[in-house]
Amino acid sequence: MIKFSHVSLIYPNSTTTVLEDLNLTIAEGEMVLVIGPTGSGKSSLLRLINGLVPHHTGGILAGDVSVNGLSTQMTKPGGMAHLIGIVGQNPANGFVADTVEEELAFGMEVLNLPNDVMRKRVEEVLDLLSLAPLRNRSIATLSGGEQQRVAIGAALVTHPKVLVLDEPTSALDPIAAEEVLSILHRLVHDLGLTVVIAEHKLERVIQFADRIVYINGEGVANVGTPEEILMQSPIAPPIVHLAKALGLKEIGVTVREMRRMTTHYRDIETISKIETPPTSSKVITFEKLTVSYGDTIALNGITSNIFAGDVVAVMGRNGAGKSSLLKALAGVNPPTGGSISLSGKNPFELHGKQRRETIGFIPQEPSDLLYGQSVAIECEQADRDNELSAGTTFAVLQQLVPGISTATHPRDLSEGQRLGLALSVVLSSNPSILILDEPTRGLDYQAKNELTRMLINFAASFGKAVILATHDVELVAELASRVIFIADGDIVADGSTLDVLLSSPAFAPQVAKVMSPQPWLSVKDVVAALEGLQ
Amino acid sequence: MTKPSLHPFTWWLWAIGLAVAILRFDSTWFTVSCVGVVMVVVYTCRDDAPWAKSFDWTLKLSAWILAVRTVIGIAIGVPIPGTPLFTVPIVPLPDWMPGIRIGGTVTWERLSSSVTEGLLICSIIVIFGAAASLTSPHRLLRVMPIYIYEFAVAVVIATSVLPQLVSSVKRIRMAQRLRGQKTRGFSSWKRVAIPLLEESLARSLDLAASMDSRGYGVSKKRSRYRPISWRLKDSLVVISAVGLVVIS
Repeated sequence: MIKFSHVSLIYPNSTTTVLEDLNLTIAEGEMVLVIGPTGSGKSSLLRLINGLVPHHTGGILAGDVSVNGLSTQMTKPGGMAHLIGIVGQNPANGFVADTVEEELAFGMEVLNLPNDVMRKRVEEVLDLLSLAPLRNRSIATLSGGEQQRVAIGAALVTHPKVLVLDEPTSALDPIAAEEVLSILHRLVHDLGLTVVIAEHKLERVIQFADRIVYINGEGVANVGTPEEILMQSPIAPPIVHLAKALGLKEIGVTVREMRRMTTHYRDIETISKIETPPTSSKVITFEKLTVSYGDTIALNGITSNIFAGDVVAVMGRNGAGKSSLLKALAGVNPPTGGSISLSGKNPFELHGKQRRETIGFIPQEPSDLLYGQSVAIECEQADRDNELSAGTTFAVLQQLVPGISTATHPRDLSEGQRLGLALSVVLSSNPSILILDEPTRGLDYQAKNELTRMLINFAASFGKAVILATHDVELVAELASRVIFIADGDIVADGSTLDVLLSSPAFAPQVAKVMSPQPWLSVKDVVAALEGLQ
Repeated sequence: MTKPSLHPFTWWLWAIGLAVAILRFDSTWFTVSCVGVVMVVVYTCRDDAPWAKSFDWTLKLSAWILAVRTVIGIAIGVPIPGTPLFTVPIVPLPDWMPGIRIGGTVTWERLSSSVTEGLLICSIIVIFGAAASLTSPHRLLRVMPIYIYEFAVAVVIATSVLPQLVSSVKRIRMAQRLRGQKTRGFSSWKRVAIPLLEESLARSLDLAASMDSRGYGVSKKRSRYRPISWRLKDSLVVISAVGLVVIS
């Protein structure tokens, strides 16, 4: 169906080739997963399929990409519209209509399909993706998962033979991600659709993939079955790391396979350690905190405390009120009711230096904080702001992201590096509380490990509090000491990470699913527990 | 979106009509009352959509332009004789710039002519800002004739990116306030402008790529899923503006 023959790609003003001599044939009805570190060219590979690269982005392409016999050299992306549906990384940026139904119809309108065909297909897609209740809703009011489904629907109405998706679940909570992926799985099996998908969160998609293309960032791409590729690649979901850590001969890519291979580990009697929480001082106290926007209540009178040295993960579905809580604590959205105290101070009365020393906030888009023309200028600005000796911020940055070039423009950094830069700018003022809003969007496993190490270090060695909102259960399992679970503006669970994650099957990390009922969340826990026995 | 809204061209035609009438009348009272009417119309007719929120910023922008225009207008240029109000010291200029003067006596006539000219510019900005905030750029795209599709894409991207800018500005300023930066004053704008430009560029490219890969502009004919029809209401709005042009 899709054929890459001797494809090499290089962007102008760039010294590294994105792809070098890639040969790949994807058969009809196959689901292919593209993995690789951030910035390795996954998106470029996806966009080569319908010719957006190089027609839309520039770049020098050697070799040939053809879909269903149609070469992208001869055909522009528009000419492939009936053949390929493509869903970008951020579907909200690609919407061209106001309501769900109009958005779905757009692709057919421009192909000049007759009205009766359009009506039939819109109904079909509404049913297929369970969008019928949303048909007249304004797209701007939909949640992330719903928008993702609309974008997939809009790509499917033209009855394409190939569906290409760039990180379809990165912004979604585990439940919404599950919905989207099971729909894709059904499309592949029921309609014989060919699906090419790029995703960082392998634990979510790996079980659906037939083959994996692994791009290492230096132009080399390996193609193989999930087992083959994951055995060697450094990028692997926790389940594969578990298999390697236990020294299993084979690896399983689904929880079911792994459970079969690890039966005897689950029967081991383990001594359950009862950890007494160390008594530390309260840094944040909020009582009966209420936040509402117009008629909608985002937070419904919640009360809790956060202690020094805690790493607290705030979890919950999209739109549950996680961001509202963080913003209220950081002092951006004034609460409608209740009180917040940050070590006795009101976050809304903090300004300038005092604010920087009390609270550090990393927004969803870390680049919002950055405005310098280069990494060096950004670091100097932070030094001046905090009256630090020159080079302090850069020293922090060097620890977080070693080997970063000082002359680089922040825009040209990879996602992980940019987060590292924003983090070091914020940390240079040594705040006693650090708040992060969904820090792992678009981060690969390596960058996530770095982040985990940094944050644990920050919280443990300096006795600071870290609060982060995230959908990433694997990150929470590795990082957080405590989880606050929010649903519809109320706290539904608040306790140690172990208790909260194990009590909800949807939010349980992969290792916990494999090892249940053993109380282990991550590979680290398993290894530690088994070592304790010997 | 349950309430049937007007045709996307309606408010744009209305705006063009008003702008022509204002330029032909050339009367301060007419200009001011037009701006007043436009403001009332926007605040009563606009819905909750993101682009509707951009009107407040249009007003702020035009007030800023009016202020700058007035100051420059009374400070630089040819003196107009009349009732003196106050005197600003004259800045000496080299000989090769005859006829231009900076400073000097500011007369009532001078002040009023500057304000009138400034008002004219601002009223045009406000009127087209109103049209942009009352019309969904997406609906505008659907009625644009396909044979000018490249122009249509540009218009839609421009009119849809502008309102998004407003929400991005809010988000970026919030983030920088949290970094402990001042968000008032001129220098803060530089800090906002860079992330803002980057983001709007990325958004525009995304939108263009999405339209391109969905085949926009490939077929010169285009079918209508739910045709947007021109109704009596639309004619009334446009006629009201045309009427003003005729009597002016």
